[in-house]
Amino acid sequence: MKRFLLLLAVLALAVTACAPAATPTPAVTREVVVTRVEVTREVEKPKATVRLSGWAANPQETALLESLLYRCSLKNPDVVVKYEPITGDYWAKIKTLVASGEEPDIYYMDIFQFPFFVSKGVLVPLDDYMAKSGVKKEDFIKTLIDAFTGPDGKVYGIPKDFNTLALFYNKDLFAQAGIPEPNENWTWDDLKNAARKLSDPAKGIYGLGVPADPGRFPIFVFQNGGRIMTPDFKDTLLDSPEVIEAAKFYTSFRAEKIGAIPADVGVDWQGTGFGQGKLAMVFEGGWLIPYLREQFPNLKWGATFPPKGPKGRGNLIFTVAYVISKNSKNPEAAWKTIECLTSEESQTVVLSTGFALPSRAKLTEHEYFKTHPESLVIFKGAEFGTPFMWGLRGDVVNEQMGKALERIYLEGQDVEASFKQAAEEVRKALKEQQ
Amino acid sequence: MPRIRRRQLGEWIAAYVLLSPYLFVFLVFNVFAIAYALYLSFTYFDLFSPPRWIGLGNYLYLLRDNLFLQKAVPNTLKYVAVVVPVQTVISLLLAFALDQEIKFRRFFRTLFYVPSVTSSVVISLIFLWLFKKTGVINQILGLSIDWLTSPTFALPTIMIVNIWATTGTMMVIFLAGLQDIPVTYYEAAMIDGANRWQMLRHITIPLLRPVIFFVVTMGVIGCFQVFDQIYVMTAGGPLDSTTTIAYLIYKWAFQSTTPFMGRASAVAFVLAGMILIVTVIQRRLIERPAEV
Repeated sequence: MKRFLLLLAVLALAVTACAPAATPTPAVTREVVVTRVEVTREVEKPKATVRLSGWAANPQETALLESLLYRCSLKNPDVVVKYEPITGDYWAKIKTLVASGEEPDIYYMDIFQFPFFVSKGVLVPLDDYMAKSGVKKEDFIKTLIDAFTGPDGKVYGIPKDFNTLALFYNKDLFAQAGIPEPNENWTWDDLKNAARKLSDPAKGIYGLGVPADPGRFPIFVFQNGGRIMTPDFKDTLLDSPEVIEAAKFYTSFRAEKIGAIPADVGVDWQGTGFGQGKLAMVFEGGWLIPYLREQFPNLKWGATFPPKGPKGRGNLIFTVAYVISKNSKNPEAAWKTIECLTSEESQTVVLSTGFALPSRAKLTEHEYFKTHPESLVIFKGAEFGTPFMWGLRGDVVNEQMGKALERIYLEGQDVEASFKQAAEEVRKALKEQQ
Repeated sequence: MPRIRRRQLGEWIAAYVLLSPYLFVFLVFNVFAIAYALYLSFTYFDLFSPPRWIGLGNYLYLLRDNLFLQKAVPNTLKYVAVVVPVQTVISLLLAFALDQEIKFRRFFRTLFYVPSVTSSVVISLIFLWLFKKTGVINQILGLSIDWLTSPTFALPTIMIVNIWATTGTMMVIFLAGLQDIPVTYYEAAMIDGANRWQMLRHITIPLLRPVIFFVVTMGVIGCFQVFDQIYVMTAGGPLDSTTTIAYLIYKWAFQSTTPFMGRASAVAFVLAGMILIVTVIQRRLIERPAEV
């Protein structure tokens, strides 16, 4: 009997699997009949199949994408989307897939990797599709859609979500130190003074997390009016006075024992150190919020904008877009899918789940932000942010920036000499690019 | 006569027909792949555009690349020079010990072999925890060393992990070699009044020579190609102190925003050449005919 029930369930699943999405199982037999009717009717019309790939983040995000795809299948009944998540090293996989012409029609594109793909002409420009279906560039946050615009002025990716950095702070440690909590008008001096008062190296508590991380340090460069690369990405500015000054400020925290790298407090990632109360302040993105909620539910924390530097605000934007492959046999169907996934309706769903910040500018007024002010801080960070992207050899720029900081931290090298060395290495790599 | 020839021919055909599934796989996935990699090592190839012939460009690049010359090559050589002798000696000693009639011999044999059947990624992850600044190792030793985030200690730490993980395999091979030595030699030596050291020096070691050669060769090849522990534990850092030649191949081929397949292929062939040279030298040194 048990086996028979199991068989029935498997059969029901097999039939429902042909429908756009699996239906809940309890009323099994009835569902089977309904979906079967639907399927036979659909056979008349030829359906366009498109494949979609992204990295497999966490189960919740996968479920979110699948629910969006289900909504889209109702909206575009003539398009069948096959979701093929890639586990492991996404970029190695997707690059070899592109090389063999086997890549999916739609795939995730990180801004950091975008320059290489666009320079090789493996992506479809989307302007015509956008015009046809009335999707305007202005609908999206400007810095995001501009980031996915190629050197020819055409849009090659529709941003799906993004993150920026916020200053996360431990409310209890601020209360203990008897100093006011950070606010959006803070300056570099405020940051340093607070770090000084919050630190207690004897207890293993440090004011600010200052990792040798190329995904954190550049905000200080931007706040100091500097840049990492020249606007054409043909040369680096890692040895410019603005960068060196920012690096001196950034590394002074650890030198004065009022800042620490993750290893100093025995963790792999400073988010853990923050959760454990060993780092009073850290610069992290929205990913820290669900982590703290799950791992450190009792921690009292807040988040605000990174402080203003001598030249005002600066932030980093991490963003991912949907792109269409040049090899796609159904670019129209692929576009319809992207259009639906990034529609205001879908993006509102994304926002209310709290997993990611959607890319549509209009959503800044959404009521979700009224109850989640820390997410609004990260959302608004895009206004004065710079995309996390350093051109065709972004990997080398990142690596050298990280090493410059490591040399200062681990080998006591002079800041200026270390960043000059990094700039030399980057230039060498740019020259070797053939 | 012709009949025999025909029969021979038939046997040949039969042999090749039976071999063909393997030969096909071998030709496609070994011979062709290696030949194509050799071709790629003379090209500039970023995966997206067709390979472009640049002659010896990649090899000449290696001669002036600091990462390759000053980090990857010395790190790999250091690694081989430390890990191979240490793991050989330790595993030989363990084999001697477990060749004796001691209690719980079978238990220990199994115990020492366990790391060899454990996934290297799992081992690396466990040691990652043990070697944390607040980890077990520091607490036992009463130290506070940043094992994996310090340029001084990171490579030795990975050496320790690898020695721990591979000693068991080598021990089993030595054990088999030891048990292969006929007892009669020892009996004859005992009658001649030889002591234990003399027996070891004049019987065991010479007769183990082929086994030692095998163990050292496998050790050298494995150490030259060390990758997984580094990938999991340090990703080549801090400050390239654990970047080895094999890791560099991966880094240039797959971690670069612009892939450098040609350059990575060239490194792969340089690595293969180095292994070949070292193995040949070893063969000359170790594998002389065993004389008792």
